Amino acid sequence: MSIVNKPGAISTWYLPGILSGLWLTLKYMIRNLFDKKKMPTLNYPEEVYQYGPRFKGNHILTVKKDGSIRCTACMLCATNCPAQCISIVAAESADQRVEKYPIKYEIDILRCVFCGYCEEACPVDAVRMGPEWQTAGLNGSSFSYDIQHLAYRPQLKGGILSRVDDEERHKFGI
Amino acid sequence: MPKVKLNGKEIEVKPGTMLIDAFKQAGEDIAHYCYHPGLPTAGVCRLCMVEIEGNPRMQIACNTVVTEGMSARNNSDKVKEAVRWGLNFHLINHPLDCPICDQAGECGLQDQYMKFGKYTPEMSEQKVKKRKVVSLGERVVLDSERCILCSRCVRFTSEITKTNELGIFNRGDHAEIGTFEDKPLNNNYSMNTVDICPVGALTSKDFRFRQRVWYLKDASSICTGCSTGCKIRVYYNEEGLFRIKPEHNPEVNGYWMCDKGRDIYKHVNPEARLQEARWGQVGNWQVKDIAEALREAGEAIRASVRDSHHSKVALVLTGQQTLEELTAAVKFFLSDLNSRDIYHWINNPEEMEKFDGLLFRGDRNPNTKGLLSLLASEKVSATWAQLEGKLNSHEIETLMVVGPEDPGVFPDLAAKLKLFAKAKRLVWLSSARVAAVDQVTTATWQIPLKSFFEKDGTLVNAQGRKQTLRKIATLIPAAVSVDQAVAVMSGREKAVPMGKFELNWKKTNFFVGERGSL
Repeated sequence: MSIVNKPGAISTWYLPGILSGLWLTLKYMIRNLFDKKKMPTLNYPEEVYQYGPRFKGNHILTVKKDGSIRCTACMLCATNCPAQCISIVAAESADQRVEKYPIKYEIDILRCVFCGYCEEACPVDAVRMGPEWQTAGLNGSSFSYDIQHLAYRPQLKGGILSRVDDEERHKFGI
Repeated sequence: MPKVKLNGKEIEVKPGTMLIDAFKQAGEDIAHYCYHPGLPTAGVCRLCMVEIEGNPRMQIACNTVVTEGMSARNNSDKVKEAVRWGLNFHLINHPLDCPICDQAGECGLQDQYMKFGKYTPEMSEQKVKKRKVVSLGERVVLDSERCILCSRCVRFTSEITKTNELGIFNRGDHAEIGTFEDKPLNNNYSMNTVDICPVGALTSKDFRFRQRVWYLKDASSICTGCSTGCKIRVYYNEEGLFRIKPEHNPEVNGYWMCDKGRDIYKHVNPEARLQEARWGQVGNWQVKDIAEALREAGEAIRASVRDSHHSKVALVLTGQQTLEELTAAVKFFLSDLNSRDIYHWINNPEEMEKFDGLLFRGDRNPNTKGLLSLLASEKVSATWAQLEGKLNSHEIETLMVVGPEDPGVFPDLAAKLKLFAKAKRLVWLSSARVAAVDQVTTATWQIPLKSFFEKDGTLVNAQGRKQTLRKIATLIPAAVSVDQAVAVMSGREKAVPMGKFELNWKKTNFFVGERGSL
């Protein structure tokens, strides 16, 4: 921000300075009174601001085509997380082509700083930052999101499909 | 002593040294996979290329003996290009499994690619698919796609254990390692193949997917699994201990250790441990403050001596504790109590002298030699039969037992506890939580001891070599070492210094530099 020092009486003297400041407030008040549409303030719970689709809000765990979780429990997100809010417990899958999957994936959303490093670290597009941002709740315990919430919460309508397709990867032998 | 010039650096090496060892001695980086100092040379990975002055073509350093006046370099553009392409060929059929591969973080392929790799691969063919998640016996899992055919594991089973389970099958890009007709790889040294595997082709079933390696801190220690006393590296973090690997010690274990020794972390982890001092008997146990329990136990022992003319106390020792601890316990009985009733609990007398010719010994105590020499020097000659006789005739009032750290190697534990219960009072010191002790019918103090992970001390191995154990961290705050316990029991000290639980913050990325799996 640049500070503009206007020469002259209007900025050096006390009264002209304060009156010009008050005039600014008054100007906006009058404008808002007569033209409500231009008013930038929202009546929040009733009116909700629509952020862009790329907004980095609450996490989503993506799923594969069969609905199982995409995450391979490589723990790169947990390693990369500066707030240390992700905790993962890996296990061996019965399906040999999956090999490793998370039996616990928890994000402590109160610790999360929404930096998006987890999304960036993920090699298989398993964790994403979704557009949801209203996370108010009454009970403290509900702020630790588990797999059920992260991948299958009702707002996701059965899960978001990952962009990394396993079938294709296996076909090309990657 | 031949003098050689490596990358312009002049050094003197022993006659008969391989060029790759000379490069390592000179501190020069040299790429390699198949070369391992503990194994015979194979020369299959073709990565340790060097240019030797006077030779028109590059040669591999691992199979070239140093000669007088040799001048070699591996930092020329020609060598770098060769290594780059060599690595690229290794990666042709290597799946990019790193996210689910246990080796990631200590992988030779990752480390060397960062250093010497060709960052723009020019391979457009499809990769050859091979078998994944093949169980090779009880402890090892094979993923032949990840294998780069360095043949280290094959050479290990043929040259070190001489069991010859592993081999390379098929030809060309279909070559893969495996066992004949999928017979299991179940020798007692099978996990060494996991350690020497430079990639994630062989992984340990025990450690698989439990932690990423960069979440683990490591520290050097001594294996307490048997009386060989191999030098080990313990990998641990805030959630406990996770695995044990051998460290190089030419005098004792070379580069290897046995599979049984790798399980010793299991009885150190808090869930297997006696967490607090307890007093009572079967069905009625009270948790006590450690210092209070020790004071009471000490009073009971000293009262038994005071009230009677002849000694009514006895001390049972195992070879599981350090020399300092055993000395403190013996001194307590000899000088404070004036009793010579000190007995050596031999857990498996018929296997005591067994040795498999490589590392593993039948004597599963780390300090039997130390205990025996201590008892000999103090001229204690009481035999186990005497103790049995005394216990059976209910002569002993208070019995102090410095019990096992690893109850798994004491097959006679339950039977011996029944014998000990014939004493009026039992002072049981042990680091492990033993279910059989909770069933004891006599008044008992259970005192939690420190494990090898938590104390300093000296262990004397089967060769008679004194080895120093270093404290790494405290897992059980209430646990004491025997010398601390004895100090309170004899009345010299009023309290024990309470250990602080040192592993209490979230695990983070402890990875610094290379883990050195090559």
